[in-house]
Amino acid sequence: MTQKQSRQYNLRSGLVLYPAQQEAIEDLLTGLAQNTPAHFILLADVTGQVISTRGGQNSKNTVALGSLVAGDLAASHEIARLTGQYQDNQMVLREGQSTHTFIGEAGHHLALLVQVSTETPLGWARMVIKKAARQLAEIAAEAPPEQQCRPPAEALPAEENLPDLFSDALDDLWQE
Amino acid sequence: MFINWQLRELNLKVVYYGPALSGKTTNLEQIHAKVDPRRRGELVSLKTAEDRTLYFDFLQLELGKISGLTPKIHLYTVPGQSYYEASSKLVLRGADGVVFVADSGANRTTDNLESWENMKAHLTSLNLPADIPLVVQFNKRDLPNAMPAPLLRNILHVNGQPTFESVAVRGQGVFDTLKAIINGVVKNVQREMT
Repeated sequence: MTQKQSRQYNLRSGLVLYPAQQEAIEDLLTGLAQNTPAHFILLADVTGQVISTRGGQNSKNTVALGSLVAGDLAASHEIARLTGQYQDNQMVLREGQSTHTFIGEAGHHLALLVQVSTETPLGWARMVIKKAARQLAEIAAEAPPEQQCRPPAEALPAEENLPDLFSDALDDLWQE
Repeated sequence: MFINWQLRELNLKVVYYGPALSGKTTNLEQIHAKVDPRRRGELVSLKTAEDRTLYFDFLQLELGKISGLTPKIHLYTVPGQSYYEASSKLVLRGADGVVFVADSGANRTTDNLESWENMKAHLTSLNLPADIPLVVQFNKRDLPNAMPAPLLRNILHVNGQPTFESVAVRGQGVFDTLKAIINGVVKNVQREMT
């Protein structure tokens, strides 16, 4: 293993998920979808970048939903803060005609949306979702052991001139 | 910034900030119109009944594979009206780079300055790095009362950040601004990874 391969990245801001963490998240979301049971689950980081979904992918614009879930959660936080009601791990429930929607934080980095049938007891759904949110926060907070942390060797862009590569990619994107 | 090594995704967030009606949403509309539809998402806009930005506009760009990574760029605008200042701050959260869109009109100096100062205050209160990539766009250069760019630079105390002149409604300067902010953000990414 080279020094570069064994390194963990210490970014000044944001979130890094390693394969072992992603796999743990996928397992947890699968369990959550079954246990709740949930129609649809979306997990994003707090800036709206989608990490994973369960159910309903074909009929939903998950990219747009990610940004809206993050925005909704941020607004809820700020409302709670301004009214003196802020606490960690808050959750918002929207009761619908056929579906209830929970939007909550899972630690400081993740936002979780879960939709359940109105036939699902609310207390049960809330308990299962809160537990899952706590576990997701733990997964995101703890980098796995170093052997599992190793990013793929071919995904290390340090020696490339990344800005030039991005500039070329943007040129390809633009249609005059 | 969010890196997912399992999916080899590099997700970056750029926020367009500036006073009301300076052209932030127009920048995103032009990008949406000019980018290959297969490489961008829908333009999401949360607007008031008067067609003004209420919370944010959002657009995702996908750049394809670069050096083994799949970069996704998330572009956001903030509401420019001071009434929605609290929302503007929320949108800045987690930004990797900021484009400040100034209105070149001579009658908008106070609005530009106020928005610039608010942006700086929000960046500080959100604990975003002091050297966060920042690009300044002087928009509406076609206005008859447009102030000279050097004067705008002085008024805002632009300190070494790249500046671009634009007429966003005609698409002029929009791409150059986008490229410059992505360049700044990616340089930061590379610095943090090495």
